[in-house]
Amino acid sequence: MYPHSDHLHDQPVLAVSHLTVRYNGRVALEDVTFHLHEGEQVAIVGPNGAGKSTLIKTIAGVLQPQSGEVNIFGSRPRGHVCIGYIPQRSQVDWNFPVSVADVVMMGRSAKLGPFNWPHRKDWDIVHRALETVELANLSKRQISQLSGGQQQRMFIARALAQEAELMLMDEPLTGLDAPSQEGILNLLERFKKDKVTVMVATHDLDQAASHFDRIMLLNHQIIAFDEPQNVLHTDNLLRAYGGRLKPVDGQNILSTDDCCDEGEHDHIH
Amino acid sequence: MTTFIDWLAAPLSYEFMQRGMIAAVLVGIVCAVIGSYVVLRGMAFFGDALAHTILPGIALGYLVSGGARDTLFWWALGTAVIAALGIGLISKNSEIKEDTSIGIVFAGMFALGVALISTVRSYAVDLSHFLFGDVLSVSTQSLWLILIFGGIVLLIVFAFYKEFMTLSFDPILAATLRLPVGFLNNLLLALIAVTVAVSLQTVGVALMVAMLVTPAATAYLLTHRLSTMMMLAAAFASLAGIIGLYLSFYLSIASGAAIVLTATVFFLLVFVWKKMAGR
Amino acid sequence: MKKIFNSIIVAMTLAALLLAACGSASQSSDSTLSVLASTTFLADIAQHVAGDRLNVDSLLPVDADPHAYQTTPADVVKISKSTVLILNGIEYEHFIEPLLENADGERLVITATARLEPHQMEEHAGETESDDEHEHEAGDPHMWLDPNLVVTYVENIRDGLIQADPEGAEIYKANADTYIAQLMGLDAWIKEQVETIPVERRLLVTNHESMGYFAERYGFTIVDTILPSFSSDASASAQEIAEVIEAIRSSGAPAIFLSDVENNALANQIAEETGVQVVTSLRLESLTDGAPAATYIEMMKYNVSELVKALQ
Repeated sequence: MYPHSDHLHDQPVLAVSHLTVRYNGRVALEDVTFHLHEGEQVAIVGPNGAGKSTLIKTIAGVLQPQSGEVNIFGSRPRGHVCIGYIPQRSQVDWNFPVSVADVVMMGRSAKLGPFNWPHRKDWDIVHRALETVELANLSKRQISQLSGGQQQRMFIARALAQEAELMLMDEPLTGLDAPSQEGILNLLERFKKDKVTVMVATHDLDQAASHFDRIMLLNHQIIAFDEPQNVLHTDNLLRAYGGRLKPVDGQNILSTDDCCDEGEHDHIH
Repeated sequence: MTTFIDWLAAPLSYEFMQRGMIAAVLVGIVCAVIGSYVVLRGMAFFGDALAHTILPGIALGYLVSGGARDTLFWWALGTAVIAALGIGLISKNSEIKEDTSIGIVFAGMFALGVALISTVRSYAVDLSHFLFGDVLSVSTQSLWLILIFGGIVLLIVFAFYKEFMTLSFDPILAATLRLPVGFLNNLLLALIAVTVAVSLQTVGVALMVAMLVTPAATAYLLTHRLSTMMMLAAAFASLAGIIGLYLSFYLSIASGAAIVLTATVFFLLVFVWKKMAGR
Repeated sequence: MKKIFNSIIVAMTLAALLLAACGSASQSSDSTLSVLASTTFLADIAQHVAGDRLNVDSLLPVDADPHAYQTTPADVVKISKSTVLILNGIEYEHFIEPLLENADGERLVITATARLEPHQMEEHAGETESDDEHEHEAGDPHMWLDPNLVVTYVENIRDGLIQADPEGAEIYKANADTYIAQLMGLDAWIKEQVETIPVERRLLVTNHESMGYFAERYGFTIVDTILPSFSSDASASAQEIAEVIEAIRSSGAPAIFLSDVENNALANQIAEETGVQVVTSLRLESLTDGAPAATYIEMMKYNVSELVKALQ
C-alpha cells in the first residue's frame, strides 16, 4: 500500500537543484543547489531562521517547494520511505503514553501497512536498533522518563528500525551535556560503516568542524558547502551570521546568544 | 446478603433496564476508545462542538418523521459525518483561529437546531431528551444499531491502530513514512462523528463530551501505554454506565447525568489519589 | 429548563408588546365581541353556546399539547385582541399568566370549571414518593372528558357570555339548553358502548393522569400511568417505568392508551416488555382538522370507539 521508489544507485543519494521554498509567507530557502554522496556525513550550520529546519523538512517530503527539485536516489522524496527524520526534542509530546520500544516500532509502520501487527522479525529489528544506540535496557520505559541524550538516541533507533538510508537530524545536539553529545557523535561514526548518509543541523561550529565530512553554511542561500577547513573562513561567516561577528582582542567572537537557551558562544580562531 | 443481591437484581428483571445497561456499556466502550485520541490530540472542544452541531440534523429528522426515534439515528449519523469533515475543513482553511471558527459554527448550528425543534409547539420534553439522553427508551432496534456501528468503529481503530498512534504522536514522522495523513485525519474525524451519533440516545448532546473525555482522562493518569489507556478507559466508562443506571433507578434521577457524574467521580478519585501518593 | 425558556419568551413578549402598543393605538373601539378560548375543544363547546351570534377562536392550534405548550409573541397579540377569554382552569393553561400580564386591554375571563371540585393527586398503590413533577398542584384539570361535567362548562360559558353581551341572553340560554341535551345523549351513548366491554377488561393505562374523571363516571379502573403527573410535560424515572410494568402484569390490562400528541417511546418500551398493545390515536386534549374529531362530541365518540375496539 505504501510507496517505495526504486533506488538508482548511480545517482547521488541526494540531489537538490535550485530549490526555493516559502514558509509562513516568507522565502525560507532561495535557489539552493547541492549533492550528497552515499555515506557522507554533513552538517548544516547557520543562524536562527536561516532555513535549516525548512531544508530538512523539504528533503523529507513534508514541505513542498515553490520551485526547484529534490531527488533522492534519482526520484522525488514522496516515493521514498527510507528517509529517517529525527525531530527537535522541543517539538515532541513527551507525555504521550508510549514506551521507547513503541516509538522505535513506529518507524516500521510503513513497512507493515494497515491491518498488520508487528511480527517477530519487526521486533528483532527494533531490538537490534535499541542495542545499537545502547537503550535496550530502557525499552519499556515511558518516553518522558528518558534523559535528553537518551531521547535523541531513541529517535536514531527509530530511523534505524525504519531501515533509513538517509538520516535527517534537526538540532540533535542542542541542550545536551558534553558526554551525551559525544555519545551521539560516536553513533554517527558507526553509521559511516553502514553507508548511511547523514545530514545534521547544528549550532555548534566546533563539533561540525571536527566530526563531519562537509559543512554547509546556510542563510536562506548556501554561503558555502565544502570541507570544514575551506568553509570556516571569516568572510563566509560574516555573510552567514551578519552583524553577530565582533572583533575582540584581535580575535573574532561570534555571539549566538539568541539561538540557544544556554547562551552558547562560539569562538573562531 | 440476599437483600443485597435482590437489590442488585431488581432493575435487571426489566428488559428496558437490561437494554439500557447494555447500551450504556457499549456506548461507554466506544466513547472511551475514541475518547483516548480526543484527549491525546486535544480535541475535546471539537468533540463538544460536533455534538452540538448535529442538533439541526436531528431536528430536521424529528420534523420530517414526526418524532420516530429510530430514523433519528440515521439523521444524526449523516449530519455528524458531514459536520465533522466540515469543521475539519474550516479549521484548516480559515484565517480565524481554529477554536473561534469552531465556536462560531457550533453555536450557530445549535441555535438552528433549537429553532427548528421549537416550531413544534410542544417540543420541550423531546428537546430535553436530545440534550440529556433518554437511555430508558432504547429499543431493541436501537441496540442493534449501537452494536453494529460501535463495532465498526472499534474494528477500524484496531485495523489502523499503529497508524493512528504514529499520526497522533508525530505527524511529521507519519508524513515521512508516507502514511496517508489526510485520509487518516479525516477517517478519525468520521469515527468521532459515528461515535457521537451512536452515543446520542444514551447521553445526549450536552453531556457527550464528558463521555468522550472523562474516562479517557482518568485512564491517562494511570498508565503509560496507549493500549492500556484505552482498556482502562473502557472499563471506567462501562462501570460508570452501570452504576449510573442503578443510581438512576433507585434515586430517580436523569440517567445521562447519573452516568456522567459517576465517571467524573472516578476521575476525581484517581486524581486525588495520584496527588496524595505523590506520583 | 422551562423557567429559562419562559423568561426568554417573556423578554420576547415585551418586545412584541411594543409592536402591539403601536398597533392598538390606531384601532377604533370595536363593539363586536372578540371571543378567544384556550384550546380547540373549549372553543367548539363555546361556539355551540354562542351560536351564530359570536365567533369563538382557539388560541392553541389543532395538535398542540396544552401541557407542553410553549408560547410565542403571536399569542400575546391574540390575547390582546380578545375581549372575552375562556379558560379551562385548574392550572390547565399553565402558560397563561405571562400572556395575561403582558396583554393590552381589558377582557372578561370565563373559567369553564368554576364551581367544580377537581380530584387531587393521589398515590397509586405501590407508587413511590414521586418527585416534583406536580405541575398541577391545583388538581386534575381533565374534566372535559366527562360530558356530565361539561354541562357545568356550558352553564359557566353561557353565564359569562350573557355578562359580556346581555342583549344575547335569550339566544345563549336557548343554545345552551340544546347543547346540554346533546351532551346527555352523548353520555347515554357512551354508557351503552362501555357495556360492550367485559367488566374485567375495563382497565386503563395512560401516558399521564388524564382520564380520572372519565374512568370514575363510566366505571373504568386506572391501573397506572407512565408519568405520575396530571401533565404530559414530565419525565419518568426507571422505577416508575418498572412499576407500570408490574401494574400491567398484575392487572392484566390489555392496552396502553396515548393521546396523539404524546411521545410514545416509553409506552413502546413497556409494550415490548409486557406484550400489550399501544393505542396512540386518542384525541384527549385537542380536536382534529376535519374527521374524526372535528367537534367536542365527535372527539368523545371517537375516543370511546377506540377504547372499545382495544378493550373488547
